[in-house]
Amino acid sequence: MSKSEESNVGRRDFMKAVIAVISGVIGTAIGLPAIAYVVGPASKQETDTWIRLGAVSKIELNKPTLFKTIIETQTGWINAEEQFSAYVLTDDGQDFTVMSNICTHLGCRVRWIPDQDGFFCPCHNGVFAKDGSVVSGPPPRPLDRFESKVEDGVLFVKRG
Amino acid sequence: MFLNMVNWLDDRFGWRTIWEAIFLRKIPHVNWFYTLGSATLFLAILQGVTGILLTLYYVPTPDHAYDSVVYISTQLPAGWFIRGLHHWGASAMVVVTVAHLLRVFFYGAYKYPREATWITGVFLLLIVIGFGFTGYLLPWDQKAFWATTVGTRIAGVAPGIGDWMLRIARGGPELSAVTLARFFGTHIWVLPASLATLVLVHLYLVIRIGITAVPSRKEE
Repeated sequence: MSKSEESNVGRRDFMKAVIAVISGVIGTAIGLPAIAYVVGPASKQETDTWIRLGAVSKIELNKPTLFKTIIETQTGWINAEEQFSAYVLTDDGQDFTVMSNICTHLGCRVRWIPDQDGFFCPCHNGVFAKDGSVVSGPPPRPLDRFESKVEDGVLFVKRG
Repeated sequence: MFLNMVNWLDDRFGWRTIWEAIFLRKIPHVNWFYTLGSATLFLAILQGVTGILLTLYYVPTPDHAYDSVVYISTQLPAGWFIRGLHHWGASAMVVVTVAHLLRVFFYGAYKYPREATWITGVFLLLIVIGFGFTGYLLPWDQKAFWATTVGTRIAGVAPGIGDWMLRIARGGPELSAVTLARFFGTHIWVLPASLATLVLVHLYLVIRIGITAVPSRKEE
């Protein structure tokens, strides 16, 4: 009698273990894909693209020049157009510095004010010098720069 | 130490009693057909989980619905898998629910004292069919559009109130953005809330009254 009781307990424990394993397998089979599914768009790597800014002949020496262009973007299932703009600075017409017009503080757009020889951010009074370095205000670092290249007199910047 | 903590919690929550009532209750000697109810519940939970995941990306408007579904199936990691589970799970849900109903019917398990369990079960079947009908429209492809056109027209032929029911189902005389939005809302809010409520009642009755034994041939 005691033997059959023992084997009953054994059976019950066995079933418990089987149920736990099956639940674990099902949970994993759904849980892991679910995690990949949720974080998928966040981990998607953007590919580098060269954006055509315009003719270098338009750029005056030692004067930050704003270039604006329309680029096509894809977010999720939506294809949209987005405006891309950047300031270009050159002191010799050969080497070009392309700077983002996005303030490094909180992302507002900065504007070049020729009279005051600086980039000004309207949001929190951040001021950047001609080369993008911080003059005053809250910005933590100079304006971001883009890699650029010139082909047939046309300036391209790399956006990654 | 760990056991102490478990006991401390159980003193407050009393979950052991509940666990025993649900999983350690006495049942007659039964067969595999008796697992169909649990299988239905499992599928319902699976549909809930995958459905919630789908709503993270799906957008119920005519200009985004189809594209967002294509995005889920082709661009997202495991998106085809999650949507596939929901898609095939939906069909399986109807099949298993009906099989469960047939088991109860042929074993006469709907009889006294389980009539209320049966009646809630019948309403649960209607809810499952409602899920199928509303969910079918959501991909907003040709098949979905025309199936819903036909399905709502069927409501439309009812004498007297037909046209009125068709308009309520479609949210107007034609299939439109309004139809898609109300089918979506019904699919993810109205029906799940109803299902959850009725499933709780159904399970409560199953546990309170107990399940039937396999009927015997002998007259007793």
